[in-house]
Amino acid sequence: MSHRLDFVTTHATEFVDLTDRIRDEVRRAGLRNGRVHMQSLHTTLGLAINENEPLLLHDFESLLDRLAPAGAGYEHDDFARRFEVPLDEPANGHAHCRQLLLSAFATLMVEEGDLVLGRWQSMFAVELDGPRQRQVALQLDGEFARSDEQVSLEALVELELARQLMVDPEPVASPMRRLVGAGGKRLRPKLVQLTAGIGPRSDPLRAAELAAAVELLHNATLIHDDYVDESTHRRGRPTVAAAEGPERAIAVGDYYFAKATRLIAQIGNGGVTSALAEALEAVCASQIDDVAMRGSYPGDRDSYMRVIRGKTASLFAAACESGALLSGAAPDVVDALGRFGVLLGTAFQMADDMVDFSPSSGKPVGLDIRQRVLSLPLIYAAEDRVVGPEVRRLLAGALGDAEVGRVAELVTASGALPRVRQEAKGLIDAAVRELDAVELDGLRPALAGLALSAVDRIS
Amino acid sequence: MSVQLLDRELDRLEGLWSDGLSETYGSYLDAVGHFDPEMQPKLALAAALIEAGVRLQGLGGRAAPPTTLLIGDLCLARGSRLLADNAPLAVQVAFARAIETASSAAAAGQPAPALRQLLRQSLGATR
Repeated sequence: MSHRLDFVTTHATEFVDLTDRIRDEVRRAGLRNGRVHMQSLHTTLGLAINENEPLLLHDFESLLDRLAPAGAGYEHDDFARRFEVPLDEPANGHAHCRQLLLSAFATLMVEEGDLVLGRWQSMFAVELDGPRQRQVALQLDGEFARSDEQVSLEALVELELARQLMVDPEPVASPMRRLVGAGGKRLRPKLVQLTAGIGPRSDPLRAAELAAAVELLHNATLIHDDYVDESTHRRGRPTVAAAEGPERAIAVGDYYFAKATRLIAQIGNGGVTSALAEALEAVCASQIDDVAMRGSYPGDRDSYMRVIRGKTASLFAAACESGALLSGAAPDVVDALGRFGVLLGTAFQMADDMVDFSPSSGKPVGLDIRQRVLSLPLIYAAEDRVVGPEVRRLLAGALGDAEVGRVAELVTASGALPRVRQEAKGLIDAAVRELDAVELDGLRPALAGLALSAVDRIS
Repeated sequence: MSVQLLDRELDRLEGLWSDGLSETYGSYLDAVGHFDPEMQPKLALAAALIEAGVRLQGLGGRAAPPTTLLIGDLCLARGSRLLADNAPLAVQVAFARAIETASSAAAAGQPAPALRQLLRQSLGATR
């Protein structure tokens, strides 16, 4: 099983902790016992296993600087003596020499579904010539413990997505193919498929069609969001707006908004169509509130909860309800799944907020702060008696690298992250309890497992 | 159109009504005469919201600023929800196809089709 880890670096030399992302890949692939092989796909990006301790990382950086200092007369930087040098070629002889001191390869063992790492060991990609967009290739081999049913459900959605994107005009299909192909957790389609197995009219093919349409709808909203947020990257790749301009992004978002609603309508279940249409309206209305709240950034908890209820949780809830409705599940089951989806979606958003403060996420730390995106850890830190005044003062001004870094430090130093983590876990517990009171035809463990996995980035 | 319906369906979009949406709505009324009387204002409003939404977004022209885009998105979503709740399947599908046509033309840099004409035809779709 092969995969690529995409990430963006923000400094000339940077240690990107990939451990949690690799662990996620192992879990997602269902690898029980075996190996993860990693290979840097760049000549100025190394791999290393060591301790994630900030001062030690600074020591490593100093060591590399002493061993191969920048601008020390490298022949590689003498462009007059080289052939076919691109116009934007950087003077980076030092970075290549530093890479020679590291490795381009690494293998981690996997036992009982988890990475075999010592207590202090982390897996790093070492940026030597940043900031850049980077990719590490991954291959997993060994004994996989996934059920055939699980594999086939996921494969059905991927096939359906590929089929839909194959028939669309290239100017819209090509950017969407890149976005969909870059990965994503596919939580919403999984919720559709699982809940579509509950009622008496379970039909995996129709469920996969609905699941793929919901994923396209979600991605259409992301394309417009990225333009609004001025995001340059998503899932490690340039956003549609950044790569092809806002005009194309608006057109691609509109096309897949329309196509997804058509595919949903053509499934021919009025309840499903209405549930998803209501959710989409809630997403759009909350996006307006979200942007409006940036005037009083970072806002307060009540406003935050109201916005993410519409912006994130509504589509999770509609995914759960629509799958159940498609399968002909009883109304009390549909309602319970809707409540489950709201709680899960809310917890998922909280977990997603916390990723902004994790150096191992693959995203630059503090990106949400820089873009003034709504964030519960930031709200809690701003309310904190000790760090709050400084957080609020920094957020009130211009946010350069230094200010963003300082805010991230203050949030991490405050009790905000454990508080959000606890709250998200409480919501997952409550979501799972919603499943207790109804008959789910044996699917409760799968739904509970999916709920836990949605927030396991913060465990 | 009843005041209650307007109040509900123009939530957050009130300013658009006096800013041309009422005229756009009026231009669709003669295309919905074959529906139940109760449905007619809802379907005309759905069509008007979709036309206004696409215009606000700047589809096929210069991209709207982010906040205007979001208002356009809400117009499209609300129009789509009105259709989901009130229109026959054939009309829902025809509306979606009209937006697909307009947006794929915009993405390809081709001249925009006459959206109002497409939407009016969509209101007459029977299959």
